[in-house]
Amino acid sequence: MFLKFSLRSNCFQFSGAGGGNDIQWCFSQVKGAVDDDVAEADIISTVEFNHSGELLATGDKGGRVVIFQQEQENKTQSHSRGEYNVYSTFQSHEPEFDYLKSLEIEEKINKIRWLPQKNAAQFLLSTNDKTIKLWKISERDKRPEGYNLKEEDGRYRDPTTVTTLRVPVFRPMDLMVEASPRRIFANAHTYHINSISINSDYETYLSADDLRINLWHLEITDRSFNIVDIKPANMEELTEVITAAEFHPNSCSTFVYSSSKGTIRLCDMRASALCDRHSKLFEEPEDPSNRSFFSEIISSISDVKFSHSGRYMMTRDYLSVKIWDLNMENRPVETYQVHEYLRSKLCSLYENDCIFDKFECCWNGSDSIVMTGSYNNFFRMFDRNTKRDITLEASRENNKPRTVLKPRKVCASGKRKKDEISVDSLDFNKKILHTAWHPKENIIAVATTNNLYIFQDKMN
Amino acid sequence: MVHATWMILPPAFTFKLEAHRIVSISLGKIYSARGQRGGLKLHKNLLVSLVLRSARQVYLSEPGCPPEPPPAPAGHPEEEPPPRTAAWAAEEPPPPPQDEAGRDCQGPRPRRCCCGENRGGCAGAPPPPHCPRKRSAGERGQAGSPVKKPRREEEEPPPLPPPPSPPCEQEDMETGNVASLISIFGSSFSGLLSKEPKGRRRPPLDGGEAAAGTAPAEAAAEPGQICCDEPVLRTLNPWSTAIVAF
Repeated sequence: MFLKFSLRSNCFQFSGAGGGNDIQWCFSQVKGAVDDDVAEADIISTVEFNHSGELLATGDKGGRVVIFQQEQENKTQSHSRGEYNVYSTFQSHEPEFDYLKSLEIEEKINKIRWLPQKNAAQFLLSTNDKTIKLWKISERDKRPEGYNLKEEDGRYRDPTTVTTLRVPVFRPMDLMVEASPRRIFANAHTYHINSISINSDYETYLSADDLRINLWHLEITDRSFNIVDIKPANMEELTEVITAAEFHPNSCSTFVYSSSKGTIRLCDMRASALCDRHSKLFEEPEDPSNRSFFSEIISSISDVKFSHSGRYMMTRDYLSVKIWDLNMENRPVETYQVHEYLRSKLCSLYENDCIFDKFECCWNGSDSIVMTGSYNNFFRMFDRNTKRDITLEASRENNKPRTVLKPRKVCASGKRKKDEISVDSLDFNKKILHTAWHPKENIIAVATTNNLYIFQDKMN
Repeated sequence: MVHATWMILPPAFTFKLEAHRIVSISLGKIYSARGQRGGLKLHKNLLVSLVLRSARQVYLSEPGCPPEPPPAPAGHPEEEPPPRTAAWAAEEPPPPPQDEAGRDCQGPRPRRCCCGENRGGCAGAPPPPHCPRKRSAGERGQAGSPVKKPRREEEEPPPLPPPPSPPCEQEDMETGNVASLISIFGSSFSGLLSKEPKGRRRPPLDGGEAAAGTAPAEAAAEPGQICCDEPVLRTLNPWSTAIVAF
């Protein structure tokens, strides 16, 4: 392997045939419209693999859910994994109007979470700002034929013309994938829902808005339990809101929620019915030398994700990704800078609203690498073992399958080297907020504004 | 018209200008949040109000009168007079080699005003702005404090800095408007609301098994029905909506 060291910084890029544990990412597919004129309804708002990785769901601002399915691996094509093709598309949420408050409720899908598969059908939860829905996605590849009283097209036969009887039989038909809403969980949130998370008991789930977290049973739609309420008696005293919440992957009574102040609280539902008092509070003291008008905004946590093992959790704030050990509350065990060069631009980013962008983050299947998005359609990966990081770009320019992605580098200041991009040329309209990693393989889904990119590691 | 004095701004003025600009931008954001589809975003508006508070404190605690404030807030790019924008741009020496967060802004640090550029969105590069650093510990403490009550009692700077020099007078309308909004904001929302927002509601604690489907009635009370004087409401049109939202 050939390593090139940059004299300017400590980062290095590597090229050449992959060796050891280094992953070489290749373009696999891109989904979505080609033209630059983005229809607002097509803006992707969430991306999620199911538990096996065979299905990949996306939600958009228009309230639609599109599910892709991975092709069965072709034994003859051993150099690449199956492609993802559209499996089902349905309208999950419609815009609504709250007449009481004269407010329109957006149909944008904020989150999708898959249930583990229990039978032939697949189930997922999708939510907009106010309502959560449980969808059943089932396949139909047979249909009954040979009715006595109905024609094949459905018209009823005149009973007097029936002279013989036959037993209807199932005959194969073209595969049809149907999505039907099985449960609608509504009217439980006054504020905007930002998270849903399915419990490891696979019977309950939580939904969180800015000030409250509710616990639901998947079978029961007419009631939910409020388990966290941080609304102050006097709204003038409001100082922080809930930004994300998630159940622990193994412990069914444990969940965490993050706040706009950069804290994470771990709660145990066995301790009390209302978990207003946390069991653990994770908070890192602020670095006083970094204080600015915008310190509070950039410390607001936009996403929190448990590792698959359940030992760690990861948080994303505006400039960094932090890994916390659940056993240590006073500081994270690892901190990775996503785009530190933006720290001096915070005023502009405040002005153009980019500072409010909510980036998500994700773990790979073995919890050894974490990934998050940035601007200019860049996304970043941090290897926790080797401490190496890489910046890649989701762009149609690299769209030949099995093209290895070239690492990118942003030049923060001073002389720009060849192939580097200066901070001032970054396109802040091109942001990657949503990324997902296949639970078992090195396949990632990266959403730009209206396109979904799928990358795989190069298989030799 | 550009005066020669523009070329040498004391550091205190740059702090004040920056703070004033941030105040204007923040108010613009709160104002434009009214018409947003999907209703007011509590999280974003809370963050904006925190920035507004910090900027206001810096603005009001720095000594001296600010020179002509920068052009209109973020919502009205077309109203900026081009010569003034050019003047801002013209005065700027080349950007410094490093622009680190921790650096003190004392001394004639050049700043580029992006008032004329990229108003509507992020197309193109944002210029390298500068945010004040290393405020005194006292200021920092106040700026960080989120609770309104202590501030109301302790810190009562005059709402409007006295405008002795001609440049300030010209912009009286705009500054006065902003400053009066800030002073009202500083005295907390209770001066404006005659009806307190509904108190905390949650299901009964004991037994804990109470259902908590949020009643529509609570939803109706929530973001705070505002019942205050019509004239006050009229003058505070953009502001009242922020209160209603909270």
